[in-house]
Amino acid sequence: MNNVKQELKLTARDSLLTFADDVAQKGGAVRAEEAEPERHLVIFGLDREEFGIPIARAREIVRVPEITRVPQAPPHIRGVMNLRGRILPVVEIRTRFGLERAELTPRSRVVVVEAHGRMVGILVDVVSQVVKIGESAIVPPPDEVVSQRADYVSNVARVGPRLIILIELDKALLLENVSTPAPLLS
Amino acid sequence: MNDDAGNPFAELLEEYVAECAPLAEAVGDTLVTLERRWEEGDPADQLFGTLKGSLHTLKGNSAMMGLTAIQALAHCMEDVCAFLGERPDLRPSASGLLLRGAGVLVEMVGRAARGPLSADRSEAFISEAREFIQTESVGAEVSAPYPERRRFERRTGSEVGELGADGVVSTIRVDARRLDGLLETFGETMIAGLGLREAVRDLAVHHRGAGFTDLEHALTSLEKTLKRLEGALMATRLVSIATVFGRFNLLVREVANAHEKRVRLVTSGGETQLDKTVIDRLGEPLVHLVTNAVIHGLESPEDRERAGKPAEATVTLSATQRSDRVILTVTDDGRGLDPERILHKARQLGAVAADATPSREEVFAMAFLPGLSTTERVSALAGRGVGLDVVANSIRTLGGSIEVASEPGKGTKFTMSLPLTLAVLRSLLVAVDGERYAVPLGDVAESLRVTNEAIHEVDGHGMMFWRGQVIPVSDAAEVLGGRAARSSRTYCVVVRSGAKRRGMLVDGLLGHQDVVVKALDPSLGRPPTISGATILGDGRIACILDTARFAELRTTEAATPSLS
Repeated sequence: MNNVKQELKLTARDSLLTFADDVAQKGGAVRAEEAEPERHLVIFGLDREEFGIPIARAREIVRVPEITRVPQAPPHIRGVMNLRGRILPVVEIRTRFGLERAELTPRSRVVVVEAHGRMVGILVDVVSQVVKIGESAIVPPPDEVVSQRADYVSNVARVGPRLIILIELDKALLLENVSTPAPLLS
Repeated sequence: MNDDAGNPFAELLEEYVAECAPLAEAVGDTLVTLERRWEEGDPADQLFGTLKGSLHTLKGNSAMMGLTAIQALAHCMEDVCAFLGERPDLRPSASGLLLRGAGVLVEMVGRAARGPLSADRSEAFISEAREFIQTESVGAEVSAPYPERRRFERRTGSEVGELGADGVVSTIRVDARRLDGLLETFGETMIAGLGLREAVRDLAVHHRGAGFTDLEHALTSLEKTLKRLEGALMATRLVSIATVFGRFNLLVREVANAHEKRVRLVTSGGETQLDKTVIDRLGEPLVHLVTNAVIHGLESPEDRERAGKPAEATVTLSATQRSDRVILTVTDDGRGLDPERILHKARQLGAVAADATPSREEVFAMAFLPGLSTTERVSALAGRGVGLDVVANSIRTLGGSIEVASEPGKGTKFTMSLPLTLAVLRSLLVAVDGERYAVPLGDVAESLRVTNEAIHEVDGHGMMFWRGQVIPVSDAAEVLGGRAARSSRTYCVVVRSGAKRRGMLVDGLLGHQDVVVKALDPSLGRPPTISGATILGDGRIACILDTARFAELRTTEAATPSLS
C-alpha cells in the first residue's frame, strides 16, 4: 500500500480538502480499485491506536489553543477554547475510550467537529493523515476491537498492516447524555 | 429574510399571530377593566368602543387568513357587544360571558400558527352567546350581523413607516434574529477592542512619543464610540414590560374563578423596559408565581373576612429600574409562607441538618430548593406541580436572582432582580489558581485585602468579620477547582445575593472590565457556580461566576448536595 506519511499541517477544512486533492493527484491516496466508491477520512491517533472519522464531519484541525478549565464540568470535558470568537467545549476523548487524560505534546491537536448541530473540539494525541479508503477495505469490527466499545465503533478499515477504527462520532462524544438536563422534580 | 420564506403562508400566519395575539390579550384586558367599571355603575362607553374596535380588527384579520373559526368567534362577540350597546342594564351580567369568549380567543389566536384549529370551544361559546341574546331580548330583534365596513390590508414583509408631516415617529419592523446577529457581531467587535487595548498596554512598556500618544487617543475614542454603540444597540432591543403584564388580568381572573377566590390584580411600572430576550423568557416564571399566589397563597373570601381582611385579595405585579437592573415583584396579601412547614419539609428532604437552626431568611430561601415547594394539591392551572426551584432556575439563567419574604397571615412577596441586558456584563476580573474569572460587578459588595488571621474557622467553615457582621468565607480555588484549601490567598471579594453575603478568597484582583456574555455549550452540563463564559482581550476564555449560587453555597453543611 502506498500510504501518505505526511504530517498534516493544515488547519481549515478547505485546506484539508485541497490537501486531500493534492494527495490524490500525486497518486498517493489509498485506493483499492479505480472505480470503487471511497471514503474520505481524517485519521488521528490516541495512544497506539488509530481512529478515523469522515472528513465531512471535521471542520478544522488546530494546534491545541489555551484551554480554560470549567469548574464542575463533566469529567470527559477538558475545558473550553476560543475558536475565532466562538467558545467551544473541548472533549477529552481519551477518557471516553478508557485511556488516561492526555499529556499535551507539540503533536497534540484539536479536531473541531460538528455533532448534534454544535461545534465541539476533540483533543487527540496526533492527527496523522487524511486518506481515501475504498469501501472494500472497510469491514465490521473484529471482536477484540469491539469488546467495550461496541456503541461507538462502527467499522474498521484495514490499510495494509494498520487497523483504523472508524468511530460513530455522535455516540463517542456522548453529548446527548450530558446535555439532558437533570430531572427538575420527582 | 425568513427561514420559512419557502412557505409564504406560514410566514403570514406567524405575522398574523404576532399582530393579533396582543390584540386578543388586549380584548381580555379591556374586559376585565370593563367588568369592574360596569359593576360600579359606570357604562365606560369609550372603553367599550375600544373593545369593539379590537374585535372588529381581529375579525377582519382572521378572515383575511381564512381562520373562519376565529372570525366567527370575534363576530359573535361583536354581536354580544352590539346587543349590550342597546341594553346597558345587561352589561354587568354579560361581562362573564364575554370574558369566557376572550379566553377562547386568546387561546385560538395563539395556536393559529401551529396547525389547524378545532372550533369546539368557539362553537360552544357562540351557542352560549346566542342563547344569552335570545333569552334577554324580550321581543327585541337580534342585531343584524355587522356589515363589512372596512377592507383590511395585510402588511407584509418588513414595513417601513414614513415620517409624516405631523412628525409621527417612523418605525421599522425587523426580524429579531437580525438584531441578535447584530448583537453578536458587536460582541466580537468589543472583544477585538479589548485585544487592541491589551496590545497597546504591552507596547507602552517600550514605546513612548507622539505617534504612540496618537494611537492611544485613537483607541480611547474608539472605546467611547463602542460604548455609545452598545447603548444604541441595547435601546433597539428594549421592550416595555407591559407586554408581559398585559396577559395577567385575564389569567388571574380565570384562575381566581376556578378556585373560588376573589382577586384584584394591580400592576405598576409597566413602562419599565427590558431586553427582548429577558422579556421573552420572563413570562413563564411570572405565570408560575402569579398562579401559585392565587391558588396557594390566597385564602377563600370567607376565610379572609374571618381574618379581618377584605374579601377581595390583591395581587400586585410591579417593575422598577434600579441602575442597570430591573426589580420585579409579585406580592399577595394572602396567608403567607409557613416557615415551620418549609423547615420541616427541608429536613425531610435532608437539605438541612436536624439540629440546625437557620434564620427565617435562610428558611425562606429553602423554598427554592428542588422538591420543596411542590404542593400535594396539583391543579390544571397551576401547572403540573411546578415548584419554585424551576422558577428560580429560569430567573437565574437570565442572570437574575430571586428571593422571597413573607409575613404569616399578611402575605408573600417575591422579589426578582434582573439585568437590563444579557449581552454585556460589568465585571470584576479575579485570578484563581491560574485561571481568571469574571464576577458580576453588581453583586460585589466589596473587594479587600485579607490576612490569614482575619479568617476564623468555625465548625470547619471559614468565617470573617465584615462591616460589623460575621460572614462565611470560601476559598475560590476549593469551590471552583475542587482543590484543598490553601490559606495563602490574599484578597477577598465579598459577593452578595439578596441578604446573603459570602467572602471569596482569590489570588488576585485584575480590575474591572465589561465582558461579552456567552452561554456555555450544553455539553458542559450545568456547572452550579458558573453562569457563562467570556473571551478576554488576550483571546483566552474566562468563566463568569454565578454569584447568587456562590453566595448561597453551603448555607448549612447539609445543603451542599442539593446545590451540586
